[in-house]
Amino acid sequence: MSKSVLTLAVVAAFAAMPALAQTVDEKLQILQQEIDQIKAQQAGKSAAPAPQLSPYSLDYGTMLDRSSGLANGATNIIGYGEVAYSKFRQSGDATADLARFVFGFNHRFDERLTLHSEVEFEHAVVSAEDQGEAEIEQAWVNYKVSDGVNFKGGLFLVPFGILNETHEPPTYYGVMRNQVETRIIPTTWRELGVGVHGLFGEGFRYDVGVTTSFDSGKLDDPLTGIRSGHQEGQLANARDLAVYGALNYRLPGLLVGTGVFSGDTGQNGASNPALQGVAARFTMWEVHAQYRVAGFDLQALYASGTLGDAGQVTAAMFAADPATAFAAPKSMKGWYAQAAYHVYKRGNFDVAPFVRYERIDIKQAEDPANGLLQDPRNDERIKTIGVNFWVHPQVVLKADVQRYETDKTQDAYRLGLGFMF
Amino acid sequence: MIRAARSPLAVLALALALVAPAARSEVYQEPAAFITEVFGLLPAPKVLWLTKDLQAQAAAILGHPPAQLRQRYWSDARRSVWILEETGKEELITAGFVVADGRIDHVRVLVYRESRGQEVRQSSFLKQFKNAKLAPGDRLDRDIDGIVGATLSVGAMERMARLALLFDRISHG
Repeated sequence: MSKSVLTLAVVAAFAAMPALAQTVDEKLQILQQEIDQIKAQQAGKSAAPAPQLSPYSLDYGTMLDRSSGLANGATNIIGYGEVAYSKFRQSGDATADLARFVFGFNHRFDERLTLHSEVEFEHAVVSAEDQGEAEIEQAWVNYKVSDGVNFKGGLFLVPFGILNETHEPPTYYGVMRNQVETRIIPTTWRELGVGVHGLFGEGFRYDVGVTTSFDSGKLDDPLTGIRSGHQEGQLANARDLAVYGALNYRLPGLLVGTGVFSGDTGQNGASNPALQGVAARFTMWEVHAQYRVAGFDLQALYASGTLGDAGQVTAAMFAADPATAFAAPKSMKGWYAQAAYHVYKRGNFDVAPFVRYERIDIKQAEDPANGLLQDPRNDERIKTIGVNFWVHPQVVLKADVQRYETDKTQDAYRLGLGFMF
Repeated sequence: MIRAARSPLAVLALALALVAPAARSEVYQEPAAFITEVFGLLPAPKVLWLTKDLQAQAAAILGHPPAQLRQRYWSDARRSVWILEETGKEELITAGFVVADGRIDHVRVLVYRESRGQEVRQSSFLKQFKNAKLAPGDRLDRDIDGIVGATLSVGAMERMARLALLFDRISHG
C-alpha cells in the first residue's frame, strides 16, 4: 500500500512540475531557477548583512558560475628568470649562471589604484664576496582614470625601445639580451618619477613624465655609454631631473614606436665635486619596429644619444681618481636588425631560428695628455645566430652563437632556459 | 633642469584635476548588455554542465582546470553567447563570444582589469577571430597575430575563443 502511495506521489510531483519539462536540460534549468529563487529568498530573510562587494568586483557570479575579478586588496605574484651557459671561444672558459630570478607583487587597492613591483636577484647569490645583486626593479603605483589616462608614480621602467619594458626571457630572441639595448639603452632602465600614459585612437599608446636623471659623477664603465651613471632609485641625486616621452603604435603583428629622454647629469657635483656647475646634459632618442607576418618575426631598432660637457666629465673623473678614470662617452649610437622564422609550431611547441646583426658606436671625449683615450671595443659589430624553442608560451629553451668583430674575447656559444609566470 | 621639470609637474596636477571627475571604469560593457545587444532582449540562460570529459577537454585548452562546474550560456536557434573569463598576465579578462554555426561571429572584451595590454579590445585585433572555427586538436583554424607587449592577454583571448567554440559544439549535442 505504501509503495503505491509513494509511486502516486512521485507521479503527481512530476505532473505538477512547471512547463512539463521534457528534456534533462530543461529539467536542469528549472532546478537551477528554483535554487536561485531559494537563494534569493534566504538572502532576503537573513539577518546578517549582505557581503560588501567592491564596486569593481562585478557580481557576474550568476552569469559565470564563479568568482569574478580581483577582490579588494588582492595581491598577485608574478615572476621570471633565466639560466645561461656560456662557452667562450677564445679562452675556452665556460660559465653557468642563474643570470636572474625576478618576482613581483602586484596589489590592487581598489578599482583604479594598483601597485606594481619586481624584485630581482642576479647571479643567484648576494653577499659581499659574490657578484650577485639584489635590487628593486620596479615599485610604482598606477591610478587608472580611463584607458586613455593613467597616472603613475614611483620607480618605473622608462618606456624606451622594445626590450626595456618587455624583457621577460620568453619574449626575446637569444640567450642574452641584445647588446644595443644593453650598452646604448641601459635595459633594464628605471627611474624614480611621475608620468601619464594611456591609449588613444586605434592602437596608439603614449607615455610622458618627469623622472630622476643619470649622474655622470657615477660613471665607472667605459664600455657601456651612459649606463653606469644610472641611479636606479638608490638615494638618487635629484638636483637635476629629466623628462621623457614615448609614442607607440600597435596593430596585430605590428609595432612602430619612438622614445626620447633628456636631462642634465652633473647633479651639481653631488658625486664628483669637480662637476659642480656642470650641466652635462644627456639626451637620447630611438625608433623601433617589429613586424610579424607569415611566420616571420622581424625587428629593428636605432638609438642615438649625446652627453654634453663630456670633456669636463672626463676631467672630473681624472681629478677624482686618475687610476680608474677613463674618457667619458660624448656620443653613443647603436642599431640592430633581427629576423626569425617559426619553422615548427604544434601545440605549445614553437621553434624559431633567428639571426641578428648589431652595431655599437660609442665616441669618447679623450684626454690624450692624461692617457684617457677612445676604447676600440666601443666600435663593435656583433653577429648572432641561434634558435628559440618554446616548450610552452611561457617557457623557452635557447641556443646561439655570437661573433664580435672587435672584442674577440666575447665570442661565445650559449645555451639558455627562460621562463615567466 | 629642475625648473624645467616644474612645469610638467604642474601640467600633470592640472590634468589629474580635470580628468578625474570624468573618470570611467574598466568595464567596457556589462555582460547583460552584450547579451541583450545580440538577441534584442535578455533571454533566460541555459546551463552547460562540465562533465568529467568536458572538464578534461576544457583543461587541455586552458592549460589549467576550468574554474566552473557549469557554464551558463544564452542561445537561439542559430547563435550562442558565452561570457568567459581567463587570466591575462595577472588579472582576469572578461569577454563575450558569439558563436554561430560553429564559427565565431564576433568577440568583445567586456572587462579588462590589467594596467597594460588594453590593445586586445581593439577591433583590429578582435576581427581576426571572425569566422574562426575549431580545427583538429581543438585549436583555432587560423593563427591570431599577437600584440607586442600583450603576449599573455592575447593568449588568454585565444584560449577563451577555443573554449567558446568547444562549449558551443557540446551544447548542440
